Amino acid sequence: MTEQTRAGTVIHDIGYRHYDGPRLTTRQIERALFTETVRAAFGWGRSARSKVMPLLLLASTCLPALIICIVISVVPLVDEVPGGYPSYPFSVQVALAVFVGSQAPAVISKDLRFRVAPLYFSRPLSRTQYVRARYAGMAVALFVLIALPLTILVVGALLAELPWREQVTAYLTAMGGAALHALVLAGIGLLIAALTPRRGLGVAAIVTVLLVLSGLQATVTALAEEFGASTLADLGGLLSPFALVDGTLGVLGADDASIRAPGLDEGLGVLYPLLVVLVVAGCYALLVRRFRKVGIG
Amino acid sequence: MLIETRGLTKRFGAVTAVEELDVEVGAGITGLVGANGAGKSTVLKILLGLLEPTAGEARVLGLDVTTDGPEIRGRVGYMPEHDCLPPDMSATEFVVHMGRMSGLPAAAARERTADTLRHVGLYEERYRPMGGYSTGMRQRVKLAQAIVHDPQLVLLDEPTNGLDPAGRDDMLELVRRASTEFGISVLVTSHLLGELERVCDGLVVIDGGRLLRQSTLAAVTQETPVVAVEVDGDVGALLPVLVEAGLTLRADGATLLVRVEDDAALDTVRDAVARLGLGLVRLERQRHRMTELFEEPVGAP
Amino acid sequence: MSPWDPTVARLTWHSVLGRRRALVLLLLPVALLALCALARALAALEGGDAEVSDALAVDLLAGFGLGVLMPLLGLIAGTGVIGPEIDEGSIVYLLTKPIDRFTIVLTKLGVAVAVVLLLGVLPVAASGLVLTGELDLVTAGFTVGALSGGLAYCALFLLLAVVTRHAVVVGLIYALVWESVVGQFVPGVQNLSAQQWSLATVVGVFGDDAERLELSAAVGPATGWVLLVVVAVGSTVYAGLRLRRLRLGAEV
Repeated sequence: MTEQTRAGTVIHDIGYRHYDGPRLTTRQIERALFTETVRAAFGWGRSARSKVMPLLLLASTCLPALIICIVISVVPLVDEVPGGYPSYPFSVQVALAVFVGSQAPAVISKDLRFRVAPLYFSRPLSRTQYVRARYAGMAVALFVLIALPLTILVVGALLAELPWREQVTAYLTAMGGAALHALVLAGIGLLIAALTPRRGLGVAAIVTVLLVLSGLQATVTALAEEFGASTLADLGGLLSPFALVDGTLGVLGADDASIRAPGLDEGLGVLYPLLVVLVVAGCYALLVRRFRKVGIG
Repeated sequence: MLIETRGLTKRFGAVTAVEELDVEVGAGITGLVGANGAGKSTVLKILLGLLEPTAGEARVLGLDVTTDGPEIRGRVGYMPEHDCLPPDMSATEFVVHMGRMSGLPAAAARERTADTLRHVGLYEERYRPMGGYSTGMRQRVKLAQAIVHDPQLVLLDEPTNGLDPAGRDDMLELVRRASTEFGISVLVTSHLLGELERVCDGLVVIDGGRLLRQSTLAAVTQETPVVAVEVDGDVGALLPVLVEAGLTLRADGATLLVRVEDDAALDTVRDAVARLGLGLVRLERQRHRMTELFEEPVGAP
Repeated sequence: MSPWDPTVARLTWHSVLGRRRALVLLLLPVALLALCALARALAALEGGDAEVSDALAVDLLAGFGLGVLMPLLGLIAGTGVIGPEIDEGSIVYLLTKPIDRFTIVLTKLGVAVAVVLLLGVLPVAASGLVLTGELDLVTAGFTVGALSGGLAYCALFLLLAVVTRHAVVVGLIYALVWESVVGQFVPGVQNLSAQQWSLATVVGVFGDDAERLELSAAVGPATGWVLLVVVAVGSTVYAGLRLRRLRLGAEV
């Protein structure tokens, strides 16, 4: 049955069908948004162009791990993984910083820049659920970026017949650290991205902040050590997200985890995990506040 | 009743955006009319459960806006006034995503997106990035994302804004079809009375947050026993003839407005015109115009 | 054709120093100054003689000042003076005026350079002062280095912003991956690094003291200057040419 409308377009009208099927709960919707976010973080489901950056960065975080695996399998006298597992993210921090900088805006800035956010909030999803889904998605993407090379490392180590108990313990500790890294970086990245929706500024802001903090941390620690200010050297790690998580692992007992000075076993060490919690909770809260300001109409 | 409010009030500090609103909206297309700043957006936000009323209550689809917000938002569609389409996504991608955000499972979202886009009139364009769309196409996508999840009621905020006359006609036609063919009731906000006349079944007029008037359009545009008479020739000759025949009338420019109580009066007019050898251009029953509403004194509906 | 349009300059100045971008830009010099102040404070705490060794000062200024501050500043300022306008399409208003494209480029470049002078070169000079306590060779050398590098970075990144919408990401890859990471492993890369060229100009200022101050660059001072000037001028010219043929559209 066809119909000619006033505008002259022909519509083959099999009629409008109503939908009587299942409707998902808000938790299921949140989960759907979460998976969409993880996909968006890797450029999945978009043009090939948007996949280049994330995949390139994934390769750059995995490359050193691959090289190390080759080295330990070829050189027979090595009985431990050079550099260790828990401090691996610290060594690839540039790639991680660029990944957050490039993908956090891809995940969240568009909703603000093009005012899509009101459409989300005129739907069943609440603002906290929206932020949770985005945060969790970004964190999972970052986790993959760190977990993959760590897994490559442990597989390579086991294949090279390194003592397995040590390897696996260190690996598991590092995976815990990877989760912490993911949470901290995702929080910082998404918050900055939400505050700088203009194109290009988000990337620049996130990378600038992360790298300046890293640079500050390295320099302050070096200065402190050179001038013998041991407390400052111990606390210098608080400045950079990467060193912060690294230090937290050390404080929580991982032996070869920390690249920080051992003086952290005293009371001051508790500042590390405390700050991690503060940063994650703070970024989450500020994100929710930012999106509460989004209104309709 | 799809929407009911009783004593609905919303204050933002010293500013009262909505005051003691008692409104009932039934099925079909209802217009929410008011000047900019009259409180239309605030009302929409409250109806969607996004804003807590200061006082009074509101129910949408039988659900309380203060307690059942998420459920309401799952069964109601919303089309914003402003631009809201990311330019690098295609219409299909976008509407599928929005459908899923409304609670449709993935497969159902894809199916319904295809259907909905077809119904609003987007064909091959739907696969192109929305950055290259014309305004008319964008409005259609905005409407599509509002109805993809088959809501019972859809709230349209100034849907014809920014469209040229042809575009306005198209959009109003779509709105009309949404109600009559798709069976979705519509609440349309606008500050333009004239166009709402063409599509609305009912009307809610607010000003400064207060209800000015509420009625169904049938009541508003009731027939009156007045007929407009236009002739091709000297209308001045016709006037005295009709007066002599006993009819009450007044002149409105070149048109005569004649009060007719029955068909006999109509015959009188026709015969008079014929006898004078004039050509009868128009003999039309007069209806109230919506604009008259604002000329009448403020009172209860 | 006048090389400077005051209206364009004024508008660009206000836009590039918009609240959010200005905050990010400010972060950089503040971090540098804080570091230098800290170094000074630590030196004071250690022993009565509050002196920071020249070698340490050189390290700080070369590492953080020329290595992090200038490239990032040049990136954000250089892309910020023209990138958002192109992205939002509001550049049409400018292009349809009877202003020569080169005037536009030069004016915007001027604004970027002004930002870099204010938030980069000046703070580097101030940092040198803070560290060494006097207007000596170290301060002078790094001020020159910051200036030369800053000019080149601004021109380069402004061109990048005209050429691609992903200027910031590409610029970051250059400044971070190419100059720092790759540069450490692949020998030849250092010759193609603006950072190295600006370091070379510092070496030039240090002259014979370069060895004492433990500073070296991948290329000689003269080469460094020449390359920086070539890049600055070449980028500006090419940017003007590209602007003449700018295509607008709803590109991704």
